[in-house]
Amino acid sequence: MKKLIWLTLLGLLLTGTLCSQELKISGEMWNRWTIVNGKVPADSSNAILKNYFSLERGYFGLEPKFSETVKGRFTVDIFSSDDNKNGAGLKLKYAYLDFSNLIPIPDLTTTVGLQKVYFGSIYDWTYDLIGKAPADEYSITNSSDYGITFNGYFPEGWGEYAVGIYNGEGYKNYGANLKDNIEPAFVGNLRITPVSGIMVGGSIMINSNERKKLLTDNTINPKFNQQLLLDGLGSITYGPINLCLEYISKKVMHADEFSNKDYTANCLSVIPTIKLQKLIGYDLDLIGRYDRWDETDNPSNQNLLNAITAGLNYKFMHNESANPAMQFQINYTYKSYDEEESSASYANKLKDSSTLLLQLKWRFNNTITL
Amino acid sequence: MKNKLLLLVAILTLTTITVNAKSKVTCAGSTTVLPIAQATAEAFMDAHPDINISIRGGGSGVGIAALINNSVDIALSSRPMKSKEISQAKAKGINPVPYAIALDGIAVIVHPSNTISNITISQIRDIYTGKIKNWKELGGPNLPIVVISRDVSSGTFEVFNEKVMAGAKVSSSAQLLASNNAVTNTVADTPGAIGYAGVGFVSNKVKALVVEKVLPSEKTVQDGTYILSRKLYMYTNGKATGAVSSYIAFIQSPQGQKIVKEQGFIPLQ
Repeated sequence: MKKLIWLTLLGLLLTGTLCSQELKISGEMWNRWTIVNGKVPADSSNAILKNYFSLERGYFGLEPKFSETVKGRFTVDIFSSDDNKNGAGLKLKYAYLDFSNLIPIPDLTTTVGLQKVYFGSIYDWTYDLIGKAPADEYSITNSSDYGITFNGYFPEGWGEYAVGIYNGEGYKNYGANLKDNIEPAFVGNLRITPVSGIMVGGSIMINSNERKKLLTDNTINPKFNQQLLLDGLGSITYGPINLCLEYISKKVMHADEFSNKDYTANCLSVIPTIKLQKLIGYDLDLIGRYDRWDETDNPSNQNLLNAITAGLNYKFMHNESANPAMQFQINYTYKSYDEEESSASYANKLKDSSTLLLQLKWRFNNTITL
Repeated sequence: MKNKLLLLVAILTLTTITVNAKSKVTCAGSTTVLPIAQATAEAFMDAHPDINISIRGGGSGVGIAALINNSVDIALSSRPMKSKEISQAKAKGINPVPYAIALDGIAVIVHPSNTISNITISQIRDIYTGKIKNWKELGGPNLPIVVISRDVSSGTFEVFNEKVMAGAKVSSSAQLLASNNAVTNTVADTPGAIGYAGVGFVSNKVKALVVEKVLPSEKTVQDGTYILSRKLYMYTNGKATGAVSSYIAFIQSPQGQKIVKEQGFIPLQ
């Protein structure tokens, strides 16, 4: 049965791509060495907790261009995984079509399918640091999801916008795994670039589990909860220096107006970058990150995390657009949790740790005219 | 004495470096703009031996991406930058400023013996998609139409595709040729042929058709009445200064515009 599904998918894909004018084939591999040093949960002594090599991402993508106004994208992610006896996993990451002529507004695209989630910095996170975008890192939203969005750009480079409707459960869930969620998630995103070097933006996402607060017998529906996610984003660039700030608020409300399960979690992320290429001739970036993730209002998962990262990016083998085919990254991250709360009886015993990541990324792409 | 000697060596070294230092201008982008950039750069460098201009192609998108990545001084582009590209550039602290350097018009050409003189955009599209197969369907001779097109990587195809095809696909029976001259020569040798080429490449060996009631000419491209035309640009990060400014000013000067015309394009005025 599995073979039949794969053959059908492959057949559909080949039929689709053969009908296209152009086909872009791309791939991206992330080979990583992870070393984690931290407190042993049993006795709080320091030790190396993890030390392994892995393929963290292995994206393979096809992007057929059917016409000037209709394009598609299909991407799978192959990665090292313990979940499978073969030591590798496979995920569908993107499978969508872009229509740029459905609505007669310049630079507006209607996107249908498994696609990016237009929230905060998650949809155009460049991975100059090895770590994920804050919303992804702290599982606030998923990086892709099934849905329909209307996304576009303002004239003269004034910025961009997106509104959309998604499953709300992310790309790893569909059908039976949608957790009784018959309510879709709604997303709005706006970014403004008033002058060169300054960008400000914000996003909102409303999601819920179950539709009704009350059951048929007028009692409170215990499964109901509503999430309100807000994101504020700002970036300043002056010459080789960039400073990016992001603030995320996640408010979870249950059916009972005064439920003690309601909570608000907050995240502040600050990322400074210095590009050294113009100064030293090599495409080298010095990059830092400070994250403060406060989920202390959630009684079942109280923690206050401070994470500091220092990193170095060396990009080489550039193509003619000056985009690198290869990238070597070193990141050192120190995570510290609020001492009292991480040791409290209600907490999940989170311990301080330091992580050294070394990563070699390589990518390729080629466009075939059919 | 030793210190004085060291100072002298240092001054001499610095002077040598300063004397030998050349201002360097890097350009990348549109293959359509490339011949203009190359020819004007040669003439400009002859007059300014202290300035070195390096140019590479890759296409408008490649040049614009390189400008956004701050790796070139000038992006060569056969189209205005898209809102998405301007937005990305501004977010990265790049302020793209356009300089029009030439005009490009595309003439639709047939064999001189063809009695057809006027054509519309939708008729051209129907010919290139294979809907119209014989000249008699347009009131011309009973002659099968031989469709000549350009390879899809060319800037000329890019304009034709955008302004005529509007998303439709060129018929697989079309012959794809690699240059403007190859198209005009093939059309001149084939009685049933139709092709398209830059206005500057049209000679009396072929017949240029009136498109949407306007004949392609230097004048109709310059005044904007001819539909199959466009501006060619050079984009810089911020207002051009120094050697970049001098080079662009040279292209826009009468001397530079003469070279533009020699390359088969249409001067700005």
